[in-house]
Amino acid sequence: MPENKSNGGLKIGVYVCDCGINIASKVNVAEVVEFAKNLPDVTVAKEYKFMCSDPGQDLIKQDIKDGKINRVVVASCSPLMHENTFRRATSEGGLNQYYFQMANIREHVSWVTADKAAATEKAKALVAAAVRRVAIHQPLERTRVPVNSTVLVVGGGIAGIHAALTLADAGKKVYLVEREPTIGGHMAQFDKTFPTLDCAACILTPKMSAVRSHPNITLWTYSEIAEVSGFVGNFKVKVKRKPRYVIEELCVGCNLCVEACVFKKPAFPNAFDEGLGKRKPIYMPFPQATPSVVLIDPNTCSELKTGKCKKLCASVCERNAIDFTQKEEFKEIDVGAIILATGYKAFDGKRIPRYGYGKYPNVYSSLEVERLVNASGPTGGELVLKNGQKPKSVGIVHCVGSRDENTNKYCSRVCCMYSLKLAHLIKERTGAEVYNFYIDIRTPGKGYEEFYDKLLHEGVHFIRGRVAEINDWAMTPDEQGKLIIRAEDTLVGMVRRIPVDMVVLANGLEPQEDAEEVRRKFNISCSSEGWFLERHPKLAPVSTFTDGIFLAGACQGPKDIPDTVAQAGAASAEAMALIDKGYVELEPNTAYIRDELCSGCHTCIPLCPYNAISFNHEKKIAVLNGALCKGCGTCVAACPSGALQQNLFTDEQIFQEIKGVMSYV
Amino acid sequence: MPEWHGWQKLKYEAELDPKFADEITAIPGGEKLANCIQCGTCSGMCPLSTYMDYTPRQIVAMVRAGFKGEVLSSYTSWLCASCYACTVECPKGIKITDIMYSIKRRAIQEKVYPKKFPIPVLAKEFFGNVLRNGRSTEMLVVIKLYLKTAPLSMINQAIMGMKLFFQGRIGLKMESIKRKKELQTVLNAMDKEAVSTGKGTL
Repeated sequence: MPENKSNGGLKIGVYVCDCGINIASKVNVAEVVEFAKNLPDVTVAKEYKFMCSDPGQDLIKQDIKDGKINRVVVASCSPLMHENTFRRATSEGGLNQYYFQMANIREHVSWVTADKAAATEKAKALVAAAVRRVAIHQPLERTRVPVNSTVLVVGGGIAGIHAALTLADAGKKVYLVEREPTIGGHMAQFDKTFPTLDCAACILTPKMSAVRSHPNITLWTYSEIAEVSGFVGNFKVKVKRKPRYVIEELCVGCNLCVEACVFKKPAFPNAFDEGLGKRKPIYMPFPQATPSVVLIDPNTCSELKTGKCKKLCASVCERNAIDFTQKEEFKEIDVGAIILATGYKAFDGKRIPRYGYGKYPNVYSSLEVERLVNASGPTGGELVLKNGQKPKSVGIVHCVGSRDENTNKYCSRVCCMYSLKLAHLIKERTGAEVYNFYIDIRTPGKGYEEFYDKLLHEGVHFIRGRVAEINDWAMTPDEQGKLIIRAEDTLVGMVRRIPVDMVVLANGLEPQEDAEEVRRKFNISCSSEGWFLERHPKLAPVSTFTDGIFLAGACQGPKDIPDTVAQAGAASAEAMALIDKGYVELEPNTAYIRDELCSGCHTCIPLCPYNAISFNHEKKIAVLNGALCKGCGTCVAACPSGALQQNLFTDEQIFQEIKGVMSYV
Repeated sequence: MPEWHGWQKLKYEAELDPKFADEITAIPGGEKLANCIQCGTCSGMCPLSTYMDYTPRQIVAMVRAGFKGEVLSSYTSWLCASCYACTVECPKGIKITDIMYSIKRRAIQEKVYPKKFPIPVLAKEFFGNVLRNGRSTEMLVVIKLYLKTAPLSMINQAIMGMKLFFQGRIGLKMESIKRKKELQTVLNAMDKEAVSTGKGTL
């Protein structure tokens, strides 16, 4: 019996859902209803096939309107699924929506209990608990908090660019923060894009310059997120701007400084060309870099390393844009929503030593080959080996670092298609024999299978077998001076040795090195592989478990450019839905302090992750700011004197729930 | 080129043994065989697959499908040198070498292993010798091996045998431990244990 039996006006309605056969096949629902009828203060107990349907909800509304009930218990699925549905029904019936309690007899009972009798008994216990709890529920109101209409986009690859432009075109202010000195990401490195063979630069660079010139976009390259605090609609973000040693506002990208540099020849590997090309200590990452601003690498610049340089770069710059004293800066911004588009990292072929990457100079990574076939690449688009000769035969190894328990279990999704694209480009540029070694060819996309068909027609060889090893141990005269690929041709059932001049490793996609660090900063979740986790794999693919933070592109999982752009569009639409509503409703599950019980011990204050608790020195007690409280319950659990309580989860409510279960058992 | 005999390239379901895969994979980690994606890494890595009648990948497929007769009478498992290259590189973590041992044990139990093939004969003679005497007498094992597999080639091998003898690498003495009875007690206990756990005997 609830202790506060004085509440004579209690009329509790219990509605038990069959959920088709999801619940009814394991739980004897009629028996649970009979049981509920005999519980104290229960005036109505009903069974219905689908409580979440309109007629099901109408049952609740009608009973409230008829005055039969003033508290509602629904025994059905998880509150994650339909708590809001039934709260709304309760409210539309004319009651405070928090006069409702849900008992989960599907996920917690019917789906996980084999024995019918045991399932029915457990369902009864949970209904009893919910009935006792709802009896002492208090009416609560939701609070509204305004939403800042600025959006932060993290990552300036194609995902970030598309999201930023979509938002900016809709009139939203956007901060686009990119770690590298230029936006463009991996897409800027590619030569052509599958399956249409559009030139990557031709379709990307107009978007890059649109970002640069858009009045609604603040572009911060060479910058990283240092700190994130706040909550949905009201995030506070600290951005670290790394020193370029060049004043961005003054530099016009004339490259005179680069020519003047004391290093007469480019001597350092250029990251944009995957190290195949060389750059000077002061450099422009690539001709269409956005912003078109040079930067100085402090690790190779003589002035920054030793302080003893003629500083020719500075002397030729008419606009005095070079500033060796630049220090890193921190900027604080307020934003309402955040889109993470931090992308991926290519698998490092060195992790599979038997493929000889890093050992044999003619074993290349796929990104290196993208640069080699690119007209703006280190060889001007000539596909030549390190000795300057064109390869006569090329082997492309699929699934490097994918579908392998020793590296990554998942399929990287894009390698088959980009391997086909590279096979086409290599054949087109060199006329070489191209061999694809694959486990399965995966071309599920618009125009993708047709592209595969075209490659078959072009005479590219396809050998179904994962490459076992690559070495230079010749066994026949033909094999002299070649790389030998050994693999089983599984369709023939024989092991083959194929001598080639060049090997391309179709490296898979991996989460960024610092994905875990970024995840912590933004307080979101990662899958076991390290990809950022979406809220629901089907129905909320761009949302995260943290309200107001959305995902776009390969940071969520390997995907190609069409999917990335689609997801970036979706993420910006979700961000706009949040912003244009103008406010967020907060659950009233906030904590509150019973002043008379607070001893002023300070325990709760440092524990609060949202800095919602402060200390009142006059009264010598803790004070809680309800607007900042997110209802995590940490302080409530820690309070030694029981002064802290949480709405919707008061000690008494939880005790009543426990008693409900225990008294039944 | 072999003559055409109209060999059958058709297998009826009734000819297959649906329990075969479960029997062969009843070893620790054996259940992973079901995850094979037929990529051929095992066959490509294998230093001996080029001599096998079926490649390791084909053996895996045949075990999974229940081709009991073909698998047990195949030379593949007997050619396996236990280098474990396939097991190390298998992208699905399948313990292929262990599966090969499982096939060999089964072939011995069913007495369908290739009787004149040196590798199973050597294994059998070596173990028989060690089980009886506690040590292996190499001369005896080698002579028995040749008698049972290729008696005529013994003449050629005799020259090498003489050389080894004069170098002191091989002797005429019957090798044996002192307390053979105790060894038998240990082996009998192991046999009992093996029978009680259903793992079969040596």
